Amino acid sequence: MSGAIASPAPAGLEGRAGVIARLARDRVALVAAVVLAALVLAALAAPLIAPYDPYYTDLAKTMSPPDAEHWFGTDNTGRDILSRVLYGTRNTLMMGLAGVLIGGLIGAALGIVAAFYRRLDPWIMRLVDIMLAFPAILIGLAVAAIFGAGLTAVIVALVVSTVPDVARVSRGSAIGIMGQEFMEAGRAVGVSNRTLILRYLTLNCISTISVFLTLRFGQVILVGSALGFLGMGAQPPEAELGMMAAQGRDFLLMAPHIATIPSLFIFVIVLAANLLGDAVRDVLDPRLQQ
Amino acid sequence: MGPQIIRRLIISLPALVGVLFLCFCLLQVVPTDPARIIAGPDAKPEEVAAVREELGLDRPIIVQFVEYITRVARGDLGRSIISNKQVLEELAETVGPTAELMVGAMVLAVPIGLLLGTLAAVRRGSLIDRFIMAISVAGVSMPVFFIGLLLIQYVGFQWDLLPFTGRIGPVWAGGLPALVLPALTLGSVLIGPIARITRTAVLEVLGADFVRTARAKGLTERVVIIHHALRNALIPVVTLIGLQAAFLLGGAVVTETMFSWPGVGRLAVGAIISSDFPTAQGAIMILAMAFLLINLLVDVLYVYLDPRVARS
Repeated sequence: MSGAIASPAPAGLEGRAGVIARLARDRVALVAAVVLAALVLAALAAPLIAPYDPYYTDLAKTMSPPDAEHWFGTDNTGRDILSRVLYGTRNTLMMGLAGVLIGGLIGAALGIVAAFYRRLDPWIMRLVDIMLAFPAILIGLAVAAIFGAGLTAVIVALVVSTVPDVARVSRGSAIGIMGQEFMEAGRAVGVSNRTLILRYLTLNCISTISVFLTLRFGQVILVGSALGFLGMGAQPPEAELGMMAAQGRDFLLMAPHIATIPSLFIFVIVLAANLLGDAVRDVLDPRLQQ
Repeated sequence: MGPQIIRRLIISLPALVGVLFLCFCLLQVVPTDPARIIAGPDAKPEEVAAVREELGLDRPIIVQFVEYITRVARGDLGRSIISNKQVLEELAETVGPTAELMVGAMVLAVPIGLLLGTLAAVRRGSLIDRFIMAISVAGVSMPVFFIGLLLIQYVGFQWDLLPFTGRIGPVWAGGLPALVLPALTLGSVLIGPIARITRTAVLEVLGADFVRTARAKGLTERVVIIHHALRNALIPVVTLIGLQAAFLLGGAVVTETMFSWPGVGRLAVGAIISSDFPTAQGAIMILAMAFLLINLLVDVLYVYLDPRVARS
């Protein structure tokens, strides 16, 4: 009769399997997840699967439309667009992931600390309010103007624009958890503040925060690629989807595929991320729906 | 309502100082000597020294920052390195077109979004509803420049329906055709969110007692929906539109760059790319201040529309 003791672990596993099963039953979410996974794998494996060197220019074959040799055609300097899209997807996804993860980490830390140490709360939230006053694109422009354009400038901008929203969400969630009995129990048995914050608060906030970050991912990619399009991000000859779309803009009337294909990839990534984010939210945290 | 607005103003104040400090940094942290930049590339050492003294660059940072704020308050934003014009003058020329573009985007997007959202709500669960919701999800996921590229390629170039580069002039002086494509590009970002929130709001209101009463009185469905349901569903929609207006600024930067629209965003991007720091600083300042101002107005409007907010 070890059921009483053994039950917590299986219950947890069951819960997780239940979430995945429920997500898999949502056909839209399933397709979105498969598409996103395929893109991530393709981006990771870019050096292995890219048919050509993404930087190799073939001036004898510029702006050629998609054919059997170059599936996505070539750009204005004769570079293979499929190879560049693979490498570009890599940079774009990396940029979005870095923005969401670093911004999420800082934001969550601020929000949870604000909820735990109530004396710090007004100061932290005031700071968050100020950060909210800057739209992401503007932060990107300012950072690029001060430190020079590049992927780092874009990531800094994405982080800065992610922090305040995550801080608000995690503070709200953490305040709810602060009122629960197990927090009081932990305090009563003399658990240190560090453990209370890391084990009690953070672990219980993680699902809400991660759902929020999933929802944010698409938006972050959109802002990042817009900054790339404006020339504030990755610099040539490096490939990044937004920047590639901007380069193709100059040849839009002669060879529309140069700009359209990278743009289409951004669209698919963001759409898949948004659909998946919506589905994950519905399953894990329906309260976030507003 | 009063205290709410004052509180909101107090919150905006540090943000304003933040904006100014950021712009001040633009002239400080740059790897090159700002005095040299402002004096010009061919300036003699004594000229650079004169500029340095004139700008007070030999004084402590805090003093310089305070002086910078007083200069800005007087409207002195320095001179552009590229055109040698007063930055304030350049900004004055570009603010109008940007405002025009944003208003144009709203004028196109708001009615379309309201119409689609109401339609989806009224025909809830039908094919039309699903189609409209699918479009709005797709719209939210589209990069602004992708929509712009498609419009330029098809409407502008292949079908040759509308101009797609530059601005002809004000709307009342024959400038309307050139405004349509940029405004549509920028507005497309708004249509999805507006349609979504309109649908939710109308659905909520359609279940309310006063709508049932209106129907019971024998009013036609059209009157019920337009005069009773939609009107009462407008509060969340107006809030959303206001909030999105601030985000439109970001989209405007991209749209202006694409369509060579002579606005503040294009000025900022061009200035950053050509290292024209005084202009970049001025343009970023104006954009950030506009963002603050719009947010402030939305909050005030919100309190005005929904008095419950003021009491909480």
